[in-house]
Amino acid sequence: MRDLVSRLGAFWKDLWRLSKNDKGAMVGGAVVALYCVVAVIGPYVAHLSRVTNPADAYLPPSLAHPLGTGPLGQDILSELVVGTRPIMEVGILAALMTVSVGVVIGLVSGYLGGFADSVLMRVTDVFLTIPGLALVIVIASLVRTSSPVVLAAILSVTAWAGLARAVRSQALSLRESDFVEAARQQGLPLRNMVGRQLLPNVGPYVAIHFLLDVTGAIYAEVGLFVLGVVPISGTNWGIMIYLAMGQGALFTTKSMLYLFSPMVAIVILQVAFVFFTRVLDALFNPRLRVQ
Amino acid sequence: MSRYIARRVVASLAIIYIVISLSFFIVRLMPGNAVSALESQLSVQGMTTQQIDAQVNAIYAVTPKAPLWRQYFTYIGHVLEGKLGRSIINQSETVLHIIANALPWTIFIVGTSLIISFVIGIAIGSALAALQHTRAAKAVSFVVSVLSSIPNYLVAIVLLYLLADIHPIFPTGAAYSVNVTVGFNIAFIGSVIVHGVLPIAAYVITSFGVWALGMKGSAVSVLGSEYVRAAESRGLSRRRLTQTYVGRNSMLPQVTTLALSVGFMFGGSIFIETYFSYPGIGYQLDQAINSRDYSVMMGCFILITVAVVVSNFLVDLLYPLVDPRIASPGGARSVADRRAEGTKAMPVGGSTA
Repeated sequence: MRDLVSRLGAFWKDLWRLSKNDKGAMVGGAVVALYCVVAVIGPYVAHLSRVTNPADAYLPPSLAHPLGTGPLGQDILSELVVGTRPIMEVGILAALMTVSVGVVIGLVSGYLGGFADSVLMRVTDVFLTIPGLALVIVIASLVRTSSPVVLAAILSVTAWAGLARAVRSQALSLRESDFVEAARQQGLPLRNMVGRQLLPNVGPYVAIHFLLDVTGAIYAEVGLFVLGVVPISGTNWGIMIYLAMGQGALFTTKSMLYLFSPMVAIVILQVAFVFFTRVLDALFNPRLRVQ
Repeated sequence: MSRYIARRVVASLAIIYIVISLSFFIVRLMPGNAVSALESQLSVQGMTTQQIDAQVNAIYAVTPKAPLWRQYFTYIGHVLEGKLGRSIINQSETVLHIIANALPWTIFIVGTSLIISFVIGIAIGSALAALQHTRAAKAVSFVVSVLSSIPNYLVAIVLLYLLADIHPIFPTGAAYSVNVTVGFNIAFIGSVIVHGVLPIAAYVITSFGVWALGMKGSAVSVLGSEYVRAAESRGLSRRRLTQTYVGRNSMLPQVTTLALSVGFMFGGSIFIETYFSYPGIGYQLDQAINSRDYSVMMGCFILITVAVVVSNFLVDLLYPLVDPRIASPGGARSVADRRAEGTKAMPVGGSTA
């Protein structure tokens, strides 16, 4: 336990040291953290008014409404804050599913080799080729769900394939190493081989992939809402854009804030994630640091 | 070489077959599936069982009362013959006809965007690698990585808002304006180009960065390699060095990304074409989803997949030209491996989601 604590300490120290050299990555990490905080406490801090008041529609920014109001007189900032959680929740859930499936299939396939490997990789190739977004939209339009878990499962339906392939090629090279040979001599079960011997060695790569998967899932998820494929329940950024467009936001300059605020929120988050992965890249891949 | 091509052909056909099967199961077996929905709808209209069966068969190309395995094989046979059924909304139109009208537009938009963003991206990426440590290069890298992390549909909405609705510089939709005659004449071609500018711009703005960053990364690592230093010390000309040694080797990963991004862009066409009301496959798919027109929906999905498989196949054929090592025995599978490595280079939704 103490070992783990000291290792975590070293990890944070490294992370901090590298972040100091890369301002973009540091800001990215801070922004991602901020979004996570907002996602957790958002619904307790901001409140959506149940009463709509058309007289307050499209008010310019003021102290009471820092980002102005929408077409029904609702406060844009509160809607934005409340809408953070559903987006982050589904994004992270989908990335978790993607990563777990991808890692398990990749490691098992690479470690076992032979027939099992061929079969698993042929299946993976199919999912790698099918255009994921098209399949996600078709399935989502048939299932018509707004449950976060089901939505996340739909979003990760093809996303795991790329990771599985990459992890497999790493497992193939790990298989030849001495420590795996030693573990095999001891006759450890497959679960232990994959979980305790191989998994820690692909961890860093998987961590970076996880963050990029979150951005991918958010891209597709917001896209589903903006297209209106997923039934509307509650509020989130995608629903805001969808409603804004449906209420003619494209044809009037008044509604600029209502349409653009959720967009800016999404773009900042996506950019922050991508910049944050850079510091992880440098942390786990020391060769990059020299440059 | 011929063995390499044969393997790629078999793999491509297998994937097309699987997608057709998948679409059969989606239409026939999903809970609340399309066939039973249509059956109950028709029986409400007071049709007899035979009439219903004939109608269902015309629309979905399946015979609902036959055993499942026979339905499956009939469906596969129909699809291979190009019988994708009829649209539910407009029953005089075959799905094949709808798709055939839409496909050229999508290929035009996706193809042009792909070429433009590939060329721009490679040029910017090479320049970034050459000027690595200058302040300008850092600023450009920053802008490029921000642009490539923005979802393409948001750029589409912003372009539509600013350049078509608020300042009506470009048309808001359609592939060409109504007052030109379709054919090979200046007015028509000009109209097609003007209507294509915004959709293409939406793609290019969000996708050239992927190649710029990928090219920069691989060029930087090639620049640091031993064989480049050796070539340099042999006194080879600057031009030979940059083109043959650095350029060609750093292009390799980009060519693999090309195959991946075709699928990604075809998927993205659902968003882009919907916002610009551009009559391509993506737009038809969105229309079909909104009107629950399952036969058109599955037809579009099968076609998008076939388009992706075909373009992947073309890239696979192209690959040995760029990298002769790949066609050597045992090298055929590593294309797929390289492709998987390429997934990291696609920042937003590169998963193909």
